[in-house]
Amino acid sequence: MGAVTDDEVIRKRLLIDGDGAGDDRRINVLLKSFTKWCNATGSPEEGFTQYQRMLGTLAQCEFSMGKTLLVYDMNLREMENYEKIYTDIEQNITSAHDKISECKKEIQRAKRIRKNRQEYDALAKVIQQHPDRHETLKQLEALDKELQQLSHIKENVEDKLELRKKQFHVLLSTIQELQQTLENDEKSENDDTQESSMENGE
Amino acid sequence: MGPVEHLHMSVFSQSFSPCGRFLAAGNNYGEIAVFSLSSALSPDATELSQTPILTFTAHEGPVFSLFSTDTHLLSAGNGEISAWSWAELIKRNTKAAWTRRPNYKSSLEIPEINAMTVNPTSVLQGHTDYIHCLSVREREGEILSGGEDGAVRIWDYRTGQSVHCIEVYKYEECARPQYGKWISCLTTESDWMLCGGGPSLSLWHLRSMSPTSIFPLSGCQRQANFYQDMILSVGEGQCVSHCLLGGEVKAQIPCTPHSLNTLALNLNSTDNRVLTVGGSSHQIDVFTNLSYRTFSLSF
Repeated sequence: MGAVTDDEVIRKRLLIDGDGAGDDRRINVLLKSFTKWCNATGSPEEGFTQYQRMLGTLAQCEFSMGKTLLVYDMNLREMENYEKIYTDIEQNITSAHDKISECKKEIQRAKRIRKNRQEYDALAKVIQQHPDRHETLKQLEALDKELQQLSHIKENVEDKLELRKKQFHVLLSTIQELQQTLENDEKSENDDTQESSMENGE
Repeated sequence: MGPVEHLHMSVFSQSFSPCGRFLAAGNNYGEIAVFSLSSALSPDATELSQTPILTFTAHEGPVFSLFSTDTHLLSAGNGEISAWSWAELIKRNTKAAWTRRPNYKSSLEIPEINAMTVNPTSVLQGHTDYIHCLSVREREGEILSGGEDGAVRIWDYRTGQSVHCIEVYKYEECARPQYGKWISCLTTESDWMLCGGGPSLSLWHLRSMSPTSIFPLSGCQRQANFYQDMILSVGEGQCVSHCLLGGEVKAQIPCTPHSLNTLALNLNSTDNRVLTVGGSSHQIDVFTNLSYRTFSLSF
């Protein structure tokens, strides 16, 4: 454990050192020049220039530190931004999945509907080939009426036939009766004359 | 199996296992090959996964018909019917569960299992020639059969009587006298029936017993199926025809065999929903999307 963290520390220090070669060196140089300036034995102008130089270096160090802090802030915010985008995309993916399954169900439904429509069309085609029901009913009615009329006429004609038959029958039977009566009369006349001649003859 | 035999092989029948992961196919040499669909469809499939996991000789003559029940695979060859247990086949054990000879000469088609268990001893008489195809309407309790004599007979399986007889070749719009009057494919779905063969493939409405649509497909159709709102049919051409119920041919998808004998849809499983077609070639085409051929399994 200790070895691991040591490695980590060494790695970090190397990184920092490698990256900020200027920065670390600058701080060391500042420190050295500060100690040198504290123990300075030269002229006050030299000391002043050295002091100015040190302030400059210090400012540079502060500037680079400020920059790193800002970069760090920026990284944090970028991370947040990416997290947000990531969650957004995940949501979109799930909603797209849902939409896809919805659409699949729709397709199934639409296919069923299409199938039903086609079956209906196919049957309708066959039905169209047969004549219209109303037409046929009307024709049937007309035919019925005709049939009735004709049977009426037939009845009438039959009745008349019967009547005429009966009339003829009556006529013929009267004729026959008359004939009979005439014959009877003739016969009785003949009988009478025969009887009277027989009576006269005796 | 040399290359010459491969060249002359025809696949006559196919059947999916009840779990949907295996396909059994029968060819004209009397062999049945079992393919593992799950390995052939997996993302890391190789050449090897497109060959059978098991091939065995089931009959002396060609295996004309295969049918799967919940536990067994029934196969019919020249005059005998054998049953193989799917569990045993998956374990590569090729011993038949039973073999029976029905008392007629040669069988070309297996009736669906309902018919066999319900009336094992009754014989439906009425056809005058070979029977090529059968279909069952469970809701109405009817069996339909179509055969060489051109008649589609509808039988009530409880009484064993022929309820209707449709002579397809007598209808002008369906008949194609140049091909003959035999019926080689028959399938039903609720009130509708598809039949074809010598006469053109036609869609019939069974309640009114009238043909509603005729499909303008050249060649004789050997097998047809209803699928969602379409009709899939295979036959003499080198393609699978997709048709709409109204009578138009929507698409013709090309396949490897020159003439197709059998078409099977795997609706038992949700992962391996494929369409497979086989015909006069040793290759069986597999379609994962109905619009194009994905790959071929090879005997």
